[in-house]
Amino acid sequence: MSEQRQILADTADRLFADAVTSRRIEGFDAKLWQQTIEMGLPLLLAPEADGGAGGDWDDAGAVLHALGHHGVPIPLAENMIAAQLAADAGLELPSGPVSLATRVEGALQQAGTRFDGKLLGVPWGRHADAILAVVPGHTVLLRRTDATSLRHAHNLADEPRDDLIFDNAPAVCGPASDGTQASHLLALARCAQISGALEAALHKSVEYAQTRKQFGRAIGQFQAVQQQLAQFGAEVAAAMCATRAACRAATRGDASFQIAAAKLRCNLAIGFATSTAHQVHAAIGFTREFDLRQSTQRLWSWRTEGGNDRAWADVLGARVCARGDQFWADLTARDDAVSLT
Amino acid sequence: MQTFHFDPVDLPPGIPAFRAEIRAFLAREMPRDYPAEQKANCWTVYDADFSRRLGERGWIGMHWSKTYGGHERSALERYVLMEELLAAGAPVGAHWIGDRQTAPAILRYGSESQKQRHVPRIARGEAFCCIGMSEPNAGSDLASVRTRAERLPDGRWKINGQKIWTTLAHRSHLIIVLARTSPADEKNRHAGLSQFLLEFDTPGLRVQPIVDLVGAKHFNEIFFEDCIVDAECLLGTEGQGWKQVTAELSLERSGPERYLSSIALFFELLRVVGPSPSESVRQAIGRVTAEIWTLRQMSLSVAGQLARGEDPYVEAAIVKDLGNVFEQALPPLVQALADDGIHLEQDSDFVRTLALLLQTSPSFSLRGGTREILRGIIARGLGLR
Ligand SMILES: Cc1cc2nc3c(=O)[nH]c(=O)nc-3n(C[C@H](O)[C@H](O)[C@H](O)COP(=O)(O)OP(=O)(O)OC[C@H]3O[C@@H](n4cnc5c(N)ncnc54)[C@H](O)[C@@H]3O)c2cc1C
Repeated sequence: MSEQRQILADTADRLFADAVTSRRIEGFDAKLWQQTIEMGLPLLLAPEADGGAGGDWDDAGAVLHALGHHGVPIPLAENMIAAQLAADAGLELPSGPVSLATRVEGALQQAGTRFDGKLLGVPWGRHADAILAVVPGHTVLLRRTDATSLRHAHNLADEPRDDLIFDNAPAVCGPASDGTQASHLLALARCAQISGALEAALHKSVEYAQTRKQFGRAIGQFQAVQQQLAQFGAEVAAAMCATRAACRAATRGDASFQIAAAKLRCNLAIGFATSTAHQVHAAIGFTREFDLRQSTQRLWSWRTEGGNDRAWADVLGARVCARGDQFWADLTARDDAVSLT
Repeated sequence: MQTFHFDPVDLPPGIPAFRAEIRAFLAREMPRDYPAEQKANCWTVYDADFSRRLGERGWIGMHWSKTYGGHERSALERYVLMEELLAAGAPVGAHWIGDRQTAPAILRYGSESQKQRHVPRIARGEAFCCIGMSEPNAGSDLASVRTRAERLPDGRWKINGQKIWTTLAHRSHLIIVLARTSPADEKNRHAGLSQFLLEFDTPGLRVQPIVDLVGAKHFNEIFFEDCIVDAECLLGTEGQGWKQVTAELSLERSGPERYLSSIALFFELLRVVGPSPSESVRQAIGRVTAEIWTLRQMSLSVAGQLARGEDPYVEAAIVKDLGNVFEQALPPLVQALADDGIHLEQDSDFVRTLALLLQTSPSFSLRGGTREILRGIIARGLGLR
């Protein structure tokens, strides 16, 4: 990792580590949000010309990894993506928080000045000033206060995932060349958060195994426990490596294949990782009070968010089958392209 | 706490052209009347003639010094060559071990005359090598080897003992043997071991093939009976055998062959199911694709670390373990997906490849260190041991 990116990652990591107590605050940590603004994080992916930090997905991945590791309640990933998409569409971003809607039912009306429809499962919808949504061909910005109804809902980790209904509401829109970009970028952001949460669950499990004693010794000295944790570690390594490779691809250009593969691989890691983390912690990890659920409940939720296993397996499978015996040529060409630039 | 390092790697300029060159070579030079199932696990398939042609081309010992017949190309170019050969199912078994670990061990620890005598022949694809580590009573617990080398008054060595599971010994010219040179010390089990570089025409050395589960002959027993060899045959330093063998194992475990042994079956599957299979087959192919892509990124990252001169010992164990799990899971997955009309005794490329891999893949998590041993290494990397 470049030195500059390492500093960014470390700073974000410290900030989120200090804020972990806020996870116990239901919903949204306004103080932390203010601090991320001071660090320029919500606009990390917006060009400097638009008041952003001009960062790339390698930077964003490092920050979102830390966010996932500590599991703090702010819509940072969503705001980063909204800022990137707004800039692409030539839209000016409101001050925020701005969330992102990828599940949209509805359409633009009156030459793109009005929107009728529903935004489903919007992260921190109730706390967002504005929401960026993608409808076929267009990127749309809506104000939360223009919603006619807002239904509170949560994912398994108590993170707000709200439904908003708009009835002929004012909208600002710009062209979206690629209608799948929002869902790809959300998947990529969740990959980074998943990697962080997997790493946190691994660290907690290893630490616990080193300190919890049974039969006169630390349970981490039992080979059965060691072998489980080693396999867990390998799954975490796979998810982290896939995520970093996909971030790098997104920094360089079209990353639709890499993101699909990375999200699916991260999803697959979640099953073994969460079950092993809970097995090693046993009963104490199954309590409301204990910290482990802050990682595992998020992981179970994020496995669905940004595309579940079925969705990405379908996309990848269709793509690969259509190319048949070109599989290996395509796989290698993606990384070789880098050495051409 | 240590987290693992898997930094993405940028392939150097010139790779696309080199890859195209390899593919053109393979399109021309791959043996014709070659049964499809031989493309599976192809890095154990022996074809001396093919290896010699790779040698002529400069594709063995690619990154060794020119002084010893190498070609001074980059380690990442060598990686690309290896993955292309494996993906094409090329019969690279004859020279694979010499290229991967024996010659590098000689270059690192050997005497000047050992280097001059053996390395250029290995680079030309004329001398093939094998690994003399395992013994009947020393498998995972390699430090317990009992093969003994005694120094004679005239400085020569007398070797007695037995090796087993030695891949390709019956067709090799060279072997590195791990032997005890001073009595075992229970307090320091790794002390008193040394490596010897022997030629197969040494008197007192006898090879006896072992037939594997499918009836193939690739591994062997080797007996050493009062085998007298020159002082010169000691490789590296007396008593440093453990350190040397560990370095050799790092090379043995870290390459792309540790996840690509079953890839031929995936290619067969894609061919057989065609462009628009059923939803369940499509999704299974999607999942396999995500695994392959991720494993390749991990494997490339390890190659990048090796190329920078780092020693990614734990990362290599992770890639081998995940790779073995993957290449072992693929055959039963394909078997489960295969349509009811398929019977394992049928004679088609697809079925023969599947049948071979169903039977040979259990060995993938044994050779080069078992799954349990690798996970022990990973657990140590996590601070648990
Ligand atoms: C196809 C093939 C090719 C090979 N080629 C070569 C070669 O060229 N040269 C060479 O030297 N060797 C070779 N080997 C041998 C290989 O390295 C050994 O098989 C391997 O190291 C395991 O040794 P073992 O078979 O004696 O099993 P054992 O060590 O007896 O192990 C049996 C089982 O017990 C487990 N076990 C052992 N110790 C522990 C422990 N501490 N904790 C937990 N579980 C444990 C093992 O994981 C395994 O599951 C080859 C093997 C195969 C299958």
